Amino acid sequence: MTEQKKKDAVFTSQLQDNTETLDGILEFSTDLLRREFVIHADSNRHGICYLTDGLVSNTDIQLILKTLLLYGQAINGNWQQSLDSFEQIKQQLMVNCSIRTVTKLDDGINGILSGETLVLLDGYAEGLLITTKAWESRSITEPATDTVVRGPRDGFTENIRTNTSLVRKRIKDPQFRLEAMVVGNKTRTDINIAYMKGTVKDGLVEEVRQRLQKIDIDGVLESGYIEELIEDAPLSVFSTIASTERPDKVASALLEGRVAIFVDNTPFVLLLPTFFWQFFQASDDYYSRYWVGSFFRIVRYIAFLISLMLPSLYVMLVSFHQEMIPSMLAFTIASGREVVPFPVLVEAIMMELAFELMREAGLRMPKPVGQAVSIVGSLIIGQAAVQAGLVSPFMVIVVAVTGIASFAIPNYSASIAIRLLRFPLLIASGMLGLLGFAAVFFMVVIHALSIRSFGESYLAPAAPFRPSDQKDIVLRFPWWSIKRPPSFSKEQRRQGKNTMPKPSGGQSGGPERG
Amino acid sequence: MINRTMLLAVSLLMLIMSSGCLGKQEINDLAIVTAVGIDNGENNHVKLSVQIVRPADARGQTGAPSGGTGEPIYSIQATGRTIFEAARNLARFSSRRVYWAHNFVIVLGEGYARKGIADMIDFFTRNHELRMTTWVVVTPEEAGQVIATITGMEVVPGEAIDKLFRYNQIVAEAPGTNMMRLQESFLAEGTEPVLAKVQLRPRGISNKNPDQFGSLDQVVLSGAAVFEGDKMKGWLSPSEAKGLLPFIEEVDSEIMVINCPDDSNNHATLEIKSLEQRVKTRFVNNQVKVQVAQTANANLVEMGCEQPFTEIKDQMTLALKQKLENQVLKTASAAQKKYKSDIMKIGQVFHNTYPLEWKQIHSEWNRYFEKAEITVSADAKISSPVLKIQRFVKGDGLSLKSK
Amino acid sequence: MALIMNVMYAKAIGITQGIIGREVNSDMWLSTVLGILQGVAVAYIVAKLMQYAPEFSMVEMAGKLIGTWAGKGIAVLIFLFFLGTFATVMVTFVYHLMDYFLPEAPTILFVVAALMVGLYGAYHGLEVMSRMAFVGVFSMLTLNILVLFGSVREMDVRNILPVMDSGLVPTLWASRHFDTDWAFAVMLIALLLPHVKRSARLARVSAVSVGLAGISIVMWPIMESTVLSAEATSQYIVACMQLARSAHIGLFLHRYEMIMIAFFATSSLIQVMMCLFCASLSASKLLGLKDYRPMLLPTGAILGAFAYWIVADHMRAMEFTAHQWPLISLPIVLGLPLVIGILYLFFKDKLKANQTPS
Repeated sequence: MTEQKKKDAVFTSQLQDNTETLDGILEFSTDLLRREFVIHADSNRHGICYLTDGLVSNTDIQLILKTLLLYGQAINGNWQQSLDSFEQIKQQLMVNCSIRTVTKLDDGINGILSGETLVLLDGYAEGLLITTKAWESRSITEPATDTVVRGPRDGFTENIRTNTSLVRKRIKDPQFRLEAMVVGNKTRTDINIAYMKGTVKDGLVEEVRQRLQKIDIDGVLESGYIEELIEDAPLSVFSTIASTERPDKVASALLEGRVAIFVDNTPFVLLLPTFFWQFFQASDDYYSRYWVGSFFRIVRYIAFLISLMLPSLYVMLVSFHQEMIPSMLAFTIASGREVVPFPVLVEAIMMELAFELMREAGLRMPKPVGQAVSIVGSLIIGQAAVQAGLVSPFMVIVVAVTGIASFAIPNYSASIAIRLLRFPLLIASGMLGLLGFAAVFFMVVIHALSIRSFGESYLAPAAPFRPSDQKDIVLRFPWWSIKRPPSFSKEQRRQGKNTMPKPSGGQSGGPERG
Repeated sequence: MINRTMLLAVSLLMLIMSSGCLGKQEINDLAIVTAVGIDNGENNHVKLSVQIVRPADARGQTGAPSGGTGEPIYSIQATGRTIFEAARNLARFSSRRVYWAHNFVIVLGEGYARKGIADMIDFFTRNHELRMTTWVVVTPEEAGQVIATITGMEVVPGEAIDKLFRYNQIVAEAPGTNMMRLQESFLAEGTEPVLAKVQLRPRGISNKNPDQFGSLDQVVLSGAAVFEGDKMKGWLSPSEAKGLLPFIEEVDSEIMVINCPDDSNNHATLEIKSLEQRVKTRFVNNQVKVQVAQTANANLVEMGCEQPFTEIKDQMTLALKQKLENQVLKTASAAQKKYKSDIMKIGQVFHNTYPLEWKQIHSEWNRYFEKAEITVSADAKISSPVLKIQRFVKGDGLSLKSK
Repeated sequence: MALIMNVMYAKAIGITQGIIGREVNSDMWLSTVLGILQGVAVAYIVAKLMQYAPEFSMVEMAGKLIGTWAGKGIAVLIFLFFLGTFATVMVTFVYHLMDYFLPEAPTILFVVAALMVGLYGAYHGLEVMSRMAFVGVFSMLTLNILVLFGSVREMDVRNILPVMDSGLVPTLWASRHFDTDWAFAVMLIALLLPHVKRSARLARVSAVSVGLAGISIVMWPIMESTVLSAEATSQYIVACMQLARSAHIGLFLHRYEMIMIAFFATSSLIQVMMCLFCASLSASKLLGLKDYRPMLLPTGAILGAFAYWIVADHMRAMEFTAHQWPLISLPIVLGLPLVIGILYLFFKDKLKANQTPS
């Protein structure tokens, strides 16, 4: 009840009351600044500024104070007559560009805590919130994940406004919309939903909005919170929402009719709906020539298969179906395993764990130490373990190839999902051979087929098969052949007809324009 | 939904756990057999010899140290009333499970082959471990001895025999008989099985005493064994086997040595690049007539004749034709007269042409085959003298005539 | 459509061919072709028949026409049909995997594992299964291509000549074995048509897909008899595995049947799923339930137990698939549509009367 009361409390015209309530709520905080002042020499009117140190720009504050103290002092005539409301003060006195008046105490406090300056004057039952937000933030750097060889080098930062501006810079279309929302009862994190009106499928934005509104959590510190709270398949290892650090990726997703969710304080932007195959598409594919792009894509699909299945296949072959190994290879494997005391399954799990340990340790350690870890680890695994007769050299190769393949998958979360799936597959095939492998594999496939991401089948357009969307799945077709965006988008047209470049009319000039 | 999926997952997991690792065998717990020999043993028993690979020694040291005698193979022998019993008896002294899947070759002793190979075919096709591309050969020696002989350039002798077969088309003197074809010809009506023949011949030179040429036995693949039903009837000589090949498989390459038209002491060698053969059968007056038409395309690869190639080309072609025809006739007479067994798949051709007549006579087909009249017409072409046109330019001082 | 192709494939390429081969030797491919033609015709007729009342499946239709109890009777019949089909499907699945790959593992394990996957798939419903079936079609194609690669060198056309060696009648009669394979597809059409949206073109689509499946199947008897010879094919319980065993790519890859069996298992497991799905669908109709899901587990238990009993003994399994099953399944699959068609002609008005108020 009192909570509710506090929320609905409004400013009174007595400055004294207002400051007392505010101080009562905010109490003492070292970064909370109060600046009292007096304006209008005639009426000797008291006023006060509330602001949070570190979140505001000093020049802006000085500008406010200058306006109030210097020009406010110099106002001639009857105060009440010339400026009888904050609306008038805003229009006639203040020079800052972003100002709003608030009547609720709660709004005032939120403003103060998010870097705005609250100005109260005696005799007014309102507050003036002036945007003075300015804080130190990381400059735009190259993203750490999703690196490309060819393509823009800018990545998102922790500042939501910078992030949206990076995308806005790329799409100068009036249909590009940003909707604001605040999530998190305590953190009050800003969230922006970005989409292209007219391109995005009907109802998708409403669905996103609804799911976001349903969130009731104390804090949102990273977009991962949001992802987990709105995804379609919360029990699945597959992530049905993609995240990226690259503004160009977001822009391209928006053009395809997807929705992006920007979350403040994180450089990771969520994209939805997401298809499984998307995790194997790097932005490079689209920037390099299509032959190259297609080739790399195929390499990545192979990497996917290897990283998912290679250890299980090896274990299955070596401990159950030796007849399937070509004879010469079988002799070689057998000779390598001659002195290994463990069953292949144990060997494989051991090595996989060792590999994961190494990866994790290398990642968590301070950078210089991390390198040392990986060097020592690879020495132990590659050389010493084989020499000691603990593992067979073949297993080292299998695990190493698997590891490398899993790094070739551009999306980190997909790579982890695959890595997780590898273990049940490995154990099943080590226990039951082909039967176990087939059973678990089909379970996984059925599961992947059954999940959806915001109304779209996760494995589309492969299953269900959409012939019109095949130009950008296994291969990347040349840009001039992709006439339409993917079929889930409402937009029908991507480019005009006959866009395949050719020299115009026998001249050796540049490509045709138009 | 959550509960049910969980239930499913858990029960599956339990199932897997409880069943454990059934049927699991690590590859290093297997005694990988690379060659099998089957002989007659005493008391109507079967003597089974197997050549087992010792991976550590066959592959050298890969990584971990491993001791051993240094011999790449380990040959053991066991007897039993049936092949399977003998195979199980191997386990009495083999420390590892005998594993058949990588078997390259099955060598049958002549005695065993003459007694009947139906058991063998059944055993080796019933077992899922065995591959169908295993070669099957017959040897006049003791099969066990052939198995145990270290031969060729390969570390594993079984592999050596395997490769002998693969590159067999260079001499083309023995049919490439694998399990699949054996089974097919054994089961099919109107054709009888033929198996390749291997024997041990002192052909190698020992490093220790190089002056004694031929002190080491080598496995030689040449000739064939003729069967009727499952029983071996006798041998085909290499040249007879050569004539048989076009009837049962594709011939890629073959060489023919022909006499020079003017001097039969000198020879020219032709390499046949393609040999097409069409067999037609007719049924006249209750007698089978077989027409074999061959079309050969040959290259001249060695010229020992004096005259220029262009002059004697026609004569050489003629000689080649005759040679081809004789070869087929020789094989045919061996099959018809000597063994009375239709190894040439004539019955199948006849069946296809005269399905109704076949139904009446198929039970006594071999009688008809024996009396069948086989005519051969060969058509040959020497298309290229390869790199050179003439043998040697006269007057260069190098005359090989004296040779 | 993909579903139909899948449900025909797995058993048809292996076990059926062995059985047919035993009867008509080298004419097994002809027998298969004849079987396919019959299948296409029946599929077309049944789908056409179903179109008269597209919103009802066969059971509902029967129920509407001649009363609830008759409808239930038909549901029982359909359930029995799928019970049998499930057993034959399991025979295929288990013998492929067990005899050629894991001879030491107990049979029950295979049955249970297949059942697990099947239940999991069937639980997710028709949509997921049809997507899965699409994957299945892809793997069928791959399997065909793979085996073609490995065997084309060994082919000998002389083995399938002369055509019609066994005479027309035995060949036609032998095609009854293949008919059981499309019988499953036809039952599927009859039962699932109301669940599919585009009913208008369905008759043609289902006939075409039976035909397409036929094309990919008929490759197998041809290959089997040319490569292995019909005599050898007829020796084996699972003929297609024998073909796969004989295939080899180049000199290095002596055997790669495991790759093939992996693709094969897709199609086989889809059959399992469909069987479970349809059986529990008819069971739920029988009990008058709205949703088929509660019936999944009991149905699975019944089907699994029966299949295990069949599969546990090779001879019993072969006896069942080769001799008893065609005689049971064909009357059902041919008789049901016929009866319903006749009933429909008689009671057309009643159905219409029922339709209008609802």
